[in-house]
Amino acid sequence: MTSMAKTRKLALMAMLTAVSLIVFVIEAQIPAPVPIPGVKLGLANIITLVAIVILGRKEAGAILFVRIVMASVFAGGVSGFMFSLAGGALAYALMCLTVKLFPEKMLWCASILGAIAHNIGQLAVSVWITGTVSILVYAPALIASGIITGAFTGFGAVYLVRALNKLDKS
Amino acid sequence: MAERKSKNWILFFAVLFALCIGAFLLLKQGGNVGTIAVIRVDGEIYEKINLDTVAVAYDIEIKTDYGYNKIHVEQGSISVCEADCPDQICVNQGSISTDAVPIICMPHRVTVEIEGDDVDG
Repeated sequence: MTSMAKTRKLALMAMLTAVSLIVFVIEAQIPAPVPIPGVKLGLANIITLVAIVILGRKEAGAILFVRIVMASVFAGGVSGFMFSLAGGALAYALMCLTVKLFPEKMLWCASILGAIAHNIGQLAVSVWITGTVSILVYAPALIASGIITGAFTGFGAVYLVRALNKLDKS
Repeated sequence: MAERKSKNWILFFAVLFALCIGAFLLLKQGGNVGTIAVIRVDGEIYEKINLDTVAVAYDIEIKTDYGYNKIHVEQGSISVCEADCPDQICVNQGSISTDAVPIICMPHRVTVEIEGDDVDG
């Protein structure tokens, strides 16, 4: 890789990190649409998926980790960090494993699987932190919400990948 | 080929979605009326209340490092009526009287659940 390409890649990574951080902080301000704990859009997931596709797994992992650390400094605090890390890491792992199964047009499938994994990860941490096993009753609701929000962010990722590819060619 | 694959996945997610919604509604409807309410903060039991013996409704204030919640206790049911968390999910969950679905305030690590047959209450 030439140093030009390296610089370009670093700039793109920095930009995606910044965008995901902004999106994450803005999303935290949106009131919950339904009284079910753990339901949220997961807009920052768009960036994770796009980074996996465009830059690669390692780079996407780095972006995700930096975003989670910085987001907990700005907004979440320590318990926010635990949640984001459990959800984010699980979603990242599942999307890395499945992203190759789908053509670019079908990235939303990987996104949905990631969203479901994210919600399951957060629920598991919730059970662990609160010591209240009965909150597992929310699992089906969180899987359902992961399908909806994952599809939504997945289409966002499809468009963003397309736009970034165009930008690359010009 | 790709189109068929896409359709299969749409079908798969649609079925999974329907199953999950159905399961959640069933779980929410089901559940037994219980008398013992258990409030937990940060994984530790904070208070156990026998909801049958509550003659006059009262409030419990929980102040921790994580935040503030006000629990409203009345005969047969319990709810979170005030909280300074950003999402207000715990307040919007309303009151519970069965062991089907617990109330949870994740930012403050507070949960309220009802247990069916607890004799030690």
